[in-house]
Amino acid sequence: MSSVKLRDVRKSFGHVEVIKGVDLDIEDKEFVVFVGPSGCGKTTLLRMIAGLETITAGNLDIGGERMNEVDPSKRGIAMVFQSYALYPHMTVRENMGFALRFARVPKDEIARQVNEAARILALDPLLDRYPKQLSGGQRQRVAIGRAIVRDPEVFLFDEPLSNLDAELRVHMRIELARLHKELKTTIVYVTHDQVEAMTLADKIVVMRDGIIEQAGRPLDLYDDPANQFVAGFIGSPKMNFLAATIVEKAAGNVTLELANHGRARLTLPLTGGTVGEAVTLGVRAEHFGEAGAGGADISLDIDVAEHLGSTSYVYASAGGEALVVEREESRHENGRSHIVVSIDPERAYLFDSQGQRIR
Amino acid sequence: MVAEVETSGSMQDRRRGGAASNLARSEQINGWLFIMPALVLLGIFMVYPILWSLWMSFQVGRGMNFSFGGFANIIRLTQDPVFIRALSNTLLFLAVQVPIMLMLALLFASALNDSKLWGRGFFRTAIFLPCVTSLVAYSVIFKSIFALDGIANQALLALQLIENPINWLSDPFWARVVVISAITWRWTGYNMIFYLAAMQNIDRSIYEAAKIDGVPTWARFWFITVPMLKPVILFTAVTSTIGTLQLFDEVNLLTNGGPSDATLTLSLYIYNLSFRFMPSFGYAATVSYVIVILVGVLSLIQFLIARDRRR
Amino acid sequence: MSKSLALIGRALTYLALSLAAFVSIFPFFWMVLGTTNTSADIIRGKTTPGGALVDNIIKFLNSFDIARVLFNSFLIAGLGTVLTLLVASLAGYGFEVFRSRFREKIFGGMLLMLSIPFAALMIPLFMMMASFRIINTYQAVILPGIASIFVIFYFRQATKAFPSELRDAARIDGLKEWQIFFYVYMPVMRSTYAAATIIVFMANWNSYLWPLIVLQTNEMKTLTLVVATLTAGYTPDFGVIMVGAIAATLPTLIIFFLLQRRFVEGMLGAVK
Repeated sequence: MSSVKLRDVRKSFGHVEVIKGVDLDIEDKEFVVFVGPSGCGKTTLLRMIAGLETITAGNLDIGGERMNEVDPSKRGIAMVFQSYALYPHMTVRENMGFALRFARVPKDEIARQVNEAARILALDPLLDRYPKQLSGGQRQRVAIGRAIVRDPEVFLFDEPLSNLDAELRVHMRIELARLHKELKTTIVYVTHDQVEAMTLADKIVVMRDGIIEQAGRPLDLYDDPANQFVAGFIGSPKMNFLAATIVEKAAGNVTLELANHGRARLTLPLTGGTVGEAVTLGVRAEHFGEAGAGGADISLDIDVAEHLGSTSYVYASAGGEALVVEREESRHENGRSHIVVSIDPERAYLFDSQGQRIR
Repeated sequence: MVAEVETSGSMQDRRRGGAASNLARSEQINGWLFIMPALVLLGIFMVYPILWSLWMSFQVGRGMNFSFGGFANIIRLTQDPVFIRALSNTLLFLAVQVPIMLMLALLFASALNDSKLWGRGFFRTAIFLPCVTSLVAYSVIFKSIFALDGIANQALLALQLIENPINWLSDPFWARVVVISAITWRWTGYNMIFYLAAMQNIDRSIYEAAKIDGVPTWARFWFITVPMLKPVILFTAVTSTIGTLQLFDEVNLLTNGGPSDATLTLSLYIYNLSFRFMPSFGYAATVSYVIVILVGVLSLIQFLIARDRRR
Repeated sequence: MSKSLALIGRALTYLALSLAAFVSIFPFFWMVLGTTNTSADIIRGKTTPGGALVDNIIKFLNSFDIARVLFNSFLIAGLGTVLTLLVASLAGYGFEVFRSRFREKIFGGMLLMLSIPFAALMIPLFMMMASFRIINTYQAVILPGIASIFVIFYFRQATKAFPSELRDAARIDGLKEWQIFFYVYMPVMRSTYAAATIIVFMANWNSYLWPLIVLQTNEMKTLTLVVATLTAGYTPDFGVIMVGAIAATLPTLIIFFLLQRRFVEGMLGAVK
């Protein structure tokens, strides 16, 4: 059993509370990704699970045992650091076996486990090199190998791919997914890159300012964000937000007026809300429709168009509001300065002035 | 120490209630254990002696017989012509030697900072070399060079710069010149290295931009190099001041304070009071506090000047 | 016009640097030359090599028990350096890695003490050594210098470059704090130690005032003290003294030329 349970976990530095009560259940063999902007507390939370930071209040269970006071080396965890933290004065082999040496594991047993991990990661030819003789990707693999050798119940990854170049990052991402399948252990992974989160996670935990905004399966967060922050954070490009006001209310429906788009009106089903209330309409770039497709048509000035081949992103604005529209046909629209798109009320999100989702 | 462990609380783990956790406590204990040997040694060999010295400066008596003398030692200071001599010599060395040395070091450094200069590696090593010698060895060498018939006089006579040999170490004026030259010889390269390293950290493009703007060489030195080196200049000024105020080795070996106390420094006077004549530890401690106060005041002034100009 | 002005400036620069280089190197040359001449010749400013080298060396070797003197010098400088590095690096690491408000205050206080001149300490230190009854012993020379605030400060600065993730990794690997220090920090920081070794060894080797005070018999004297003793008196034998001066300078000169870059790094470590 290697589940991880956090109950009302808190952390303060001096008088500043950085983790403000976190409840989270991580199932056995689950790949969980903490994601959020920098300073949201995701790395601190990971380090608290590792035992590198003390837990100010609350309860941490790993494998059903309270771990708040347990030494990092005895929590059944292994960690891969952002900078890899390889010991520069030791060879790859010594790096990988270092923990076992201090756990008084016999020499031949250490050799066996190091070789096994090296095999999994294809590190065999590098075992006698020093970290500075390795490329970034190789160091990354050694860092993972060092974690594997310890045969942990839970792997902790702290932004492991952020020091790699773009191509290698994609490669290592796939490698990590494969590794998770092969090792069948629990993984807790921290990143600020929502693409990494979407592609790797069984469960994404979106954090902001020391609290969990939402936790769930990647597509659930994408389809059904709990609030404006999660809606804006998950998905690329970012969801568009349009300022709106409720101007009419009828049975099960409200009508919105879009302030920056020539008072365009849009009616969508909603039971709550009061007339005059300021709300925010959320539309993903890929959810705009052709003009006249129903809903509300809005006219936009094109600032820049990015053609990626299969699709194009049009950066446009109206009334000081910047929007991104995905257009498959846009490569034929060169030279145009305006587009008209429609908003489909069925695929639009609505947030109240507090950022809570109301539809 | 146990009380401190529990009351201090680490910056990271100050809690609003409850006992500190085991992890936090172990951080605290380790924090103290690592610095403990140094703290104990500093306590015994630095804090305790400096306080003892303060206490002693109010004691009078010879040898190991002390009695409380109040301000007797301070009054004695003001009436002691030898002390006044030592103090004024020390301040003279400070006022003349430190500026000359730092100026030379700065000029050499900026000359050597030119990457197009031929043989800069040689010049740098040569000018730095003196600070590798032991103080005793170089003092002795200088003593032989500046002997009455020594090589210094012979060279000056041959160049017809002087008509009669100078009695370097027996003439009050020239003895001071020799001491100042010796210290400058020993330490200029040392300070130069600090400037050189700092200059190499200045972005080249700043100079290129200034060149394009038509700023002349002297102005680039004065308005770019010097201000950017301010922290290093302050550092060297403070360390040189402390060093010169403690001047002992060179004068002890070159002139032994003579002729007729013309090169007597405060440190040498303290040494003489304590270990050469009938020991007068209380009074010597009082003199040593003069150095403490001088160092403190001068460091503060230099620090304030540097901070003031920065604004 | 300005071209010729620049040329003159360049010529003046070379002239000044050459003069400075000559003045810097000449005493070394003089020292080497002096070993071959008699004292009278040296004082007379003789600039050619003489034939007194062997005689000077023999006289130097007979002046004191030189083997013993060398042993003293190397023991005091060597042991002092090892202890200083150990104590100061422990403290520098401790101050930097385990931070607390209270310890920061102590560190601030230590920096203030950096400017306390040795002259103010030497009398009470001497009396302390006398009361411990260890005047004229190795420990009396070595002990007061071990906790060097300057070296502690140097190590704290250097520790800022020690990646904190290495310590985290070692903790997860199950190392105790003292094991992290000895098995990870020390090997990783070995170039810092190398630079500090040079600086501290040189300072100990060249130390004069404190050994002069506490070492009182001939069989305890260091090389530095021997050279100084040879200089005292009315008719110092400069030929012999030059041999001693070379012996006193040679170790530091060798270190300097072998490790020139590291030496300068060590000096600069404190200000960076």
